[in-house]
Amino acid sequence: MKTRKLLAVFGLCVFTLGLFAGGALAADKVLKIGVVFPLTGPVATAGQRCVAAVETAAEVINNAHPEFNVPLAAQEGILGGTKIQLVVADHQGKPDVGKSEAERLFNQEGVWAMIGCYNSAVTKPASAVAERMKRIFLSGCSSSAALTERGYQYFFRCAPTDKTESHEFVEYIQWLNQNQNAGIKTVGLIYENTEFGKHAADEGKAAAKETGFEVVADVAFNPGATNLNSEVQTLKAKNPDAVFGACLGGDYTLWVRTMKQMNWLPKVALNYCTGYQDPKIAQQLGPDGDFFMGGTGYSPEIGAKYMPDVAAVEKIYTAKVGVPFDSDSIQEAVALLVLAQAIEKAGSLDVEKVAKILRTETFDSPLSLGGKVAFGPGGQNMKATSIITQLHGGKYMPVFPPSYAEQAATVPMTPWGKR
Amino acid sequence: MDIFAQVIIDGLLTGMLYALVAAGLSLIWGVMDVIHFAHGEFLMVAMYLSFWLGFLAGVDPVVSWIASGVFLFIIGALTYRLVISHCIGKSAMPPLLATFGLSLFLKNLCMNRFSPNFRLLQDTLLGGKTVMIGSVVIGLPQLVTGVFSLIMLLALYYLIKKTRLGWAIQATAMDREAAELMGIHTDRIYLLVFGMGGACVGIAGGLMTSYLAVHPEVGSLFGLIAFLIVALGGFGSIPGALVAALIIGLVEALAGFYIAPVFKYVAVFMLYLVVVMVRPKGLFGW
Repeated sequence: MKTRKLLAVFGLCVFTLGLFAGGALAADKVLKIGVVFPLTGPVATAGQRCVAAVETAAEVINNAHPEFNVPLAAQEGILGGTKIQLVVADHQGKPDVGKSEAERLFNQEGVWAMIGCYNSAVTKPASAVAERMKRIFLSGCSSSAALTERGYQYFFRCAPTDKTESHEFVEYIQWLNQNQNAGIKTVGLIYENTEFGKHAADEGKAAAKETGFEVVADVAFNPGATNLNSEVQTLKAKNPDAVFGACLGGDYTLWVRTMKQMNWLPKVALNYCTGYQDPKIAQQLGPDGDFFMGGTGYSPEIGAKYMPDVAAVEKIYTAKVGVPFDSDSIQEAVALLVLAQAIEKAGSLDVEKVAKILRTETFDSPLSLGGKVAFGPGGQNMKATSIITQLHGGKYMPVFPPSYAEQAATVPMTPWGKR
Repeated sequence: MDIFAQVIIDGLLTGMLYALVAAGLSLIWGVMDVIHFAHGEFLMVAMYLSFWLGFLAGVDPVVSWIASGVFLFIIGALTYRLVISHCIGKSAMPPLLATFGLSLFLKNLCMNRFSPNFRLLQDTLLGGKTVMIGSVVIGLPQLVTGVFSLIMLLALYYLIKKTRLGWAIQATAMDREAAELMGIHTDRIYLLVFGMGGACVGIAGGLMTSYLAVHPEVGSLFGLIAFLIVALGGFGSIPGALVAALIIGLVEALAGFYIAPVFKYVAVFMLYLVVVMVRPKGLFGW
């Protein structure tokens, strides 16, 4: 009996040692990347999709996929076989949690770089942690222009900013006035009262004023509100010709449905990266969601025409979350693919060397609408492109710029009673 | 003038919905002195039930509110039997912490099972329909929910004030020991009260899926506003809950339109602070 016990203890020791040894051996060939997104809280859907997108990119990099026309897909891992290991954390949409998660990931988990955080308000403090520690931080889709106006050396963002989108919006309504006789003179804004919403609205107002449009309504609301009656009532009373919207997730559906209830629509409704871009929400809104517009970096319709290499990669993503990539999530996959290319080009894990390559070189990016990624001063992707789409029967149809347009936009939007 | 009428009607309809959500909480708080932190999450569960019944079985919310009400009655009764009955009567903290834990459990369970996706029922009987009174537009789902709320509150008030069961509930609320000496089975009264609280919020949640998206966070703000209404109206007072809910609905709508939409909840919470300072037991408090 005693011998059996001794043998059991010995066996356990060997097993435990084996585990540690295995871990140590594996650690030689693993590069940890921190991935911080809102996995719970009001925008958890978007956060979970962003994580799935980064995981998809990691699968493309870690396994040989010669059939994919994506950089690094043909080989296994980077730097001769090092695999990307993702360490996922949840910031719940809270800046303080994002900051402490960034510190934990760098200090305790020992991640080499970070990708995140979807909410601009969280990306701001989390990337400040990385900058202080001289570590690389990539953001796929956080859109606040202020993030890349801080002069950071280790921060890089793939998506277009709210500033870019705001200019595109006013350019588009000018074009509509000239080419479709839209008669748009006034602009209203509705946005959530957060870093993202306020910043998008500031950019929207500035762009509208620069181009001579009168801003007649400026409606901020608390995200997660029980109703948006006063908000829509305010818009209705001011009756702007065009509305720029920055409403995420459930707030977007509530906004659309409240407008329907109040039987009011502007001539055009243009949305920043918001609930508009969520294909699931578009599907659930059904005909009510039609004729709304927004800046879009990717949709299956756009992908089929301009980004043919996405489809194969998208299968991995869709198997995880049940929906195709959207404009936000695909940027997070781009972030990891670009980071991996930079490491491969540097030939080492020297942070300074990799950061320099990120700052100076241009990367192939079949998952980006522009096809390339090149970071400018402050870390903004200078090749970031987005086009304006309009929902028709649940499909995102490109309507601007004319070189991408597949059909003329329905302007003014079809009234609720005639759908 | 038309806009003013529209704002007032919006406020009243919002208030009526709030009243139904808060009525159950008021009852639980007033009778048992239990701060039911999972009340908002009960609303979320009811909305999910109504959504899935609509999505999978095609049952419209105008019918599925019955199922939501019954289901949440059972959930409420089970919550009392399995959780609250073990910690009630010692101090206020254990039931508070227990229901707080329950709220986290329910939220994360739904997040895990149903994902954080926003789910919206399409083509419901009431969805998107409106009634016009002059130039004032009233959403039919909101109107039906408001009318239902009034009927339910009247029924609840009648039950509490005019029936033997209601008298037993009132007696238990006033003095549990004395009520027991009079032959009232107070444990069963508590069970019933918790069940009724659940049923109220279940009915509200069942009806709300006609026009609101369902997601794991949907109950949080409703839960918070329900607490406010109960404190403003007076603990345990059904008329108090109705009046407070209507006041809050109106303040929210008026402040939202005439000051700024972002200010509407600020105005609501400020009103509460004023009432707490002037009349701490609430408008109709015992």
